[in-house]
Amino acid sequence: MNVVSVFSEVAVVVSLLLAVGVAGIVGPDRIRSELPALRTRLRQAARPLLLLGAVLAANSVVRDFGVGLSWLIGSNITKTIYAIEGSFVASLQSLAPAWFTLYLGFVYVYGYAFLLVFPLVLTLLLANTRYLKETAFAYTVNYVIGLLCYVLFVAYGPRNFAPDTVEPLLYDTIPRFQLVTSQVNANTNVFPSLHTSLSVTVALMAYRLRAEYPRWLPVATCLAGSVVLSTMVLGIHWATDVVFGVLLGALSVYVATRPRFHSENESS
Amino acid sequence: MCGASRLSRTTSRRAVLGSAAAGLAATSGCMQRLRTLAGNKESPAVSLSIKTRPADEDPGAMHIARQLETWFDTAGVDTTVQPVTATELYRQTLLNHEFDAFVARYPYRQITADSLYSLVHSSFAAERGWQNPFGFADLEVDELLTAQRRQSDDRRAETLASLQKQLANACPFLVIGTPDSIRAANTTRFSGWTGAFGKSPLRLLTLDRADPEATTLRLVTTDSRVTRNLNPLMAPFRRRGRITSLVYDSLARQYQGGLIPWAGVDWEWDTSRPDGPVLRVTLRDDLQWHDGEALTAADVAFTYRMVADTSLGTFEQAVPPTRYRGRATVVTAATAIDERTVELTCTDCSRAVAERALTAPLLAEHVWRERASEADIGGVGIGAATTEALVTDAIPPVGSGPLQFDTASDRESLRLTLFEDHFRTTIDPADSVAASALDPPFDAVEVGFVGSDSTAVELVESGDADATAVGVGSDLVRTIGRADDLTLLLDQGDSFYFLGFNVRSAPLSNSRFRNLLSHLVDRQYLVDTVFDGYATPAVSPLAGTGQVPETLQWGPGGTVTPFLGSDGELDTEQVRSAFREAGYRYDTGTLLQS
Repeated sequence: MNVVSVFSEVAVVVSLLLAVGVAGIVGPDRIRSELPALRTRLRQAARPLLLLGAVLAANSVVRDFGVGLSWLIGSNITKTIYAIEGSFVASLQSLAPAWFTLYLGFVYVYGYAFLLVFPLVLTLLLANTRYLKETAFAYTVNYVIGLLCYVLFVAYGPRNFAPDTVEPLLYDTIPRFQLVTSQVNANTNVFPSLHTSLSVTVALMAYRLRAEYPRWLPVATCLAGSVVLSTMVLGIHWATDVVFGVLLGALSVYVATRPRFHSENESS
Repeated sequence: MCGASRLSRTTSRRAVLGSAAAGLAATSGCMQRLRTLAGNKESPAVSLSIKTRPADEDPGAMHIARQLETWFDTAGVDTTVQPVTATELYRQTLLNHEFDAFVARYPYRQITADSLYSLVHSSFAAERGWQNPFGFADLEVDELLTAQRRQSDDRRAETLASLQKQLANACPFLVIGTPDSIRAANTTRFSGWTGAFGKSPLRLLTLDRADPEATTLRLVTTDSRVTRNLNPLMAPFRRRGRITSLVYDSLARQYQGGLIPWAGVDWEWDTSRPDGPVLRVTLRDDLQWHDGEALTAADVAFTYRMVADTSLGTFEQAVPPTRYRGRATVVTAATAIDERTVELTCTDCSRAVAERALTAPLLAEHVWRERASEADIGGVGIGAATTEALVTDAIPPVGSGPLQFDTASDRESLRLTLFEDHFRTTIDPADSVAASALDPPFDAVEVGFVGSDSTAVELVESGDADATAVGVGSDLVRTIGRADDLTLLLDQGDSFYFLGFNVRSAPLSNSRFRNLLSHLVDRQYLVDTVFDGYATPAVSPLAGTGQVPETLQWGPGGTVTPFLGSDGELDTEQVRSAFREAGYRYDTGTLLQS
């Protein structure tokens, strides 16, 4: 077991979920009819997609460097957050039964990865590329603002601050996931919760897509809700991070759906 | 002071009127009243911030800090806990002295009585590093510290008893207890783990090979610092120096409470010299640095000049390293007599104290000499008051120890290989360690980093690593015990947890206040709740050395600073009256400065 094998495990599970999702939510007829147009659409939505790619690439480069910078210029707000909400996360944790925690552990890694990738597939299969562009743009806004906050604020999550009351449940239940999460983010980057903001983004976009994909809305909402809950129950995020995550998610959708960003070649 | 001459056209009319009015008030005798009243402000509330490492890095420290917060809050002291990552924590506390209090562990594997010298002697109060980070200054303590260096036997024991008592009362730092080191080891590839992580790092080289195919010892750590810095002189990056001490040899090594000859094959103690006693050390004749250069007496003499002042006298003020300061101050001059002989002139001290200097890491002159210059950034001088020696990551390190550097990847891994040209003399055939240290059952040691101790244990269990390089939380004892291939390694603790105070500013500058805080700490309760019993409470920093007087031995309720309550619960009335007696006041539960 090493980082690569855990990453492969995640990739396999998410691919399976995507296959099931496409079959159940999109349906075979639509795939067949839309397949020839994919290349054109990717070209049409190239700008927001490339922008997202660039931000993700920058994210991975800046991450190590950003943590150091953050200690230099950022303010350590862990104790402020704790002063605001106290032992909320600990109480929430004590309510969750073991099976639910295990479920949330898998949702936190598999479910979240699926939740992020699937909307790109869904919107790619729509004739109107506007939704694809919106989704990519909304993700970009999340990452840019999130990264900025991570540099400006140093904050440790509940499991790191209050080991006396909050259990590091993700790593206690499924220790191998720590290999993946530590590759993806530093433990000082908890404010705001990007898991939350991106899940909220996906849920809000699912609402916009409800006419096209009526089955996606309930699935996305349930998954997003589970991810949001998991961040707290697993002891990773504070409720404060989650609140700001929800706000960030809503803001990103608001910005990404403004007509001014879709003025050119749109048909609707 | 009316400021009329400074009036500019931009000054508003209101400001002019205001300053005129203030001027009038002052001249009409109001100033006297104003000044009297200014001295009578409402007393500020007493607050305290405790910095420590987050739970991922050190579950014990964070848990202790949080419990202290609860107790101090109960006493009315407005306390907050601030999690800070290791390198940053030690930069803020040891180097910049920006802290009220911090929870940490004693930074060496073994403490000796003379270790207290650098820890609390006032001459180090302004220095940066592990030397007196508290800023403590107490004439009586200074005298005792100096006296014990000269004394021996009963007289020294008496001095040390007074010293420990004085420290427990004045409390520059509050000793909490020594945790047992809990590690997991996998027995499929290597065996003989018992004691492998004991007090001497050499023991790691005495494992047995269980699987003939195994050539690399794979360790896993939750502390990434060793993957990006191997400079033995830099306090913020060192834990207790186990790995670096295998890379950097010393003249002698501490082993089972005594010293064994190492790079120095023999030494004499000459007290007949006019400048002070001299340690005349003879080196082995087959010593080499990892880069192939010969290790000579000149290197050794250079080492002791470097650990005294990393600028080698080129700066106006000496720039001492942030570690090994106590050992360094024993040696006042170091001279190479010939290729294999070096003379260390010591301060007025006993042989036992002087010999401790022999455990400082040896530094190669051809590598470190240029590091005596001013530190710069990318070749640009920034007028830093520090030397390159205290800034460099020293990667690749050039030492002379049994392990040499191979590769390192920041926050991922460190790989060391056996140094084939390490000396191959049997020091004492009867001594199993010294003999088998020459033939370790592996060619390389890899230290991989993971973010949490439970993941580290899982990697050892799955066979992806052979052992955890650092201790893990006591909550993992059962996990380790249940797994088939895992051995639970329990080593008696090698360094104590303490709460260190910054006595440079209020309210912690008041020794009575610090003393009162020490009455708010129930050590037994911490041992039971934080460490599940896998720790030993301690009052004196010398606990475990056999040099603790009876009055300072840990015993429930029987210490010099008994807990003001029972079973972890403070008796609020008792606490408040104790603080009131010390001149503090309470305002609805909040402690106010007197």
